[in-house]
Amino acid sequence: MTGRQIISELVMEPGTGKAIELLKGQILRIEQVEGGQCADFNCFNLHDYKEFMHCGRTRTVHGFHPTTGTFMWSAPPRERAMLYILEDTVGRNDVLFPRCSAYVYEAAYGFAVHTNCHDIQAEAQREYGLTPDDVHDSFNLFMCTGVDDDGHAFMTRQTTKPGDYVDLLALMDVLAVPNVCGADVMKTSNFALKPLKLTVFAATDTDLAQVPKTPMLASQRTPKDFRNPTIKTDRPLRRDPAYKPEFPNTPIVVTDLAVSLSPEELAMFNAVKRSDIYGEDDAAALRDLLFSWWEERFLQAHAGAPSIEST
Amino acid sequence: MAETVVKLRLNQQQLELIDRTIAQGVAPDRAALVRLALHEYAAARKAEAHKSGMEQAQ
Repeated sequence: MTGRQIISELVMEPGTGKAIELLKGQILRIEQVEGGQCADFNCFNLHDYKEFMHCGRTRTVHGFHPTTGTFMWSAPPRERAMLYILEDTVGRNDVLFPRCSAYVYEAAYGFAVHTNCHDIQAEAQREYGLTPDDVHDSFNLFMCTGVDDDGHAFMTRQTTKPGDYVDLLALMDVLAVPNVCGADVMKTSNFALKPLKLTVFAATDTDLAQVPKTPMLASQRTPKDFRNPTIKTDRPLRRDPAYKPEFPNTPIVVTDLAVSLSPEELAMFNAVKRSDIYGEDDAAALRDLLFSWWEERFLQAHAGAPSIEST
Repeated sequence: MAETVVKLRLNQQQLELIDRTIAQGVAPDRAALVRLALHEYAAARKAEAHKSGMEQAQ
């Protein structure tokens, strides 16, 4: 952190958010002022808002609680690292929950109007011409969540203190949209709304050197690769009479592969095959074994989603 | 005893992955790769079972 130049500072008051042009090589610090406050966060490619941070992709790669040393990824088919979490003094963030919305507060609590992250995000990004429909699921900083035994996500209180922060380093020019989470009748921010401080720094060479290299793959596509690169500008959906489907790798063609098993190999197979799933279908059970083995032996990235280049 | 023939049904994408694995020198052909998978998968399960048994005994 030593030697970072401060570019701007701002305190977000409760109930508000702010859209910030965060350029490649700049760091956004989101910092507790009083402690105990959740921040919702979203971002867009500053030069193409259709590329946006995707919590689904991010949680697949980094799990439910991204922290220092992980990336915020954009949605398929872009799938690029947009931000890098350079530092996180708490280590408890969330990509399980969507942003809270007006519906939640009306349906569950009876509020006609209530501060909520969706509407705060929408209002903040309106400064850049984006609509409420352009708000995406948020990265929820300092939000303490988990999954219970029944598979339901839950949230609980947080233990952040004044001065705790998360530093997000932009790996591309983005419109960053943090907001003070509007939930004061839930445990999220310990039942009170508090301000959050935002500081934008220029990253130092030391900061930049901490970022692992991410793979650049042909599958990370941009509009120049799209069959339809034009953004639709009207609301109704109408069928294109000229449409001809071009699904990749279709038709799917199945081929038989005969494999001879010795009596010893058959016994080996019978001992490990998943009859609980495939019953008497040995062909399916052996196919399962083949690709399960392949994953165990060759798949290096969790859930098949490499985030960092292997050397 | 006679050998048992199992006919796997694989699509072109699955075959592509298998063929790329073979091209790395892992096995000489598709059937050999499947048999290698069987041997290594079974050995891994056996090792897991042994480890689990040891832990339960402790």
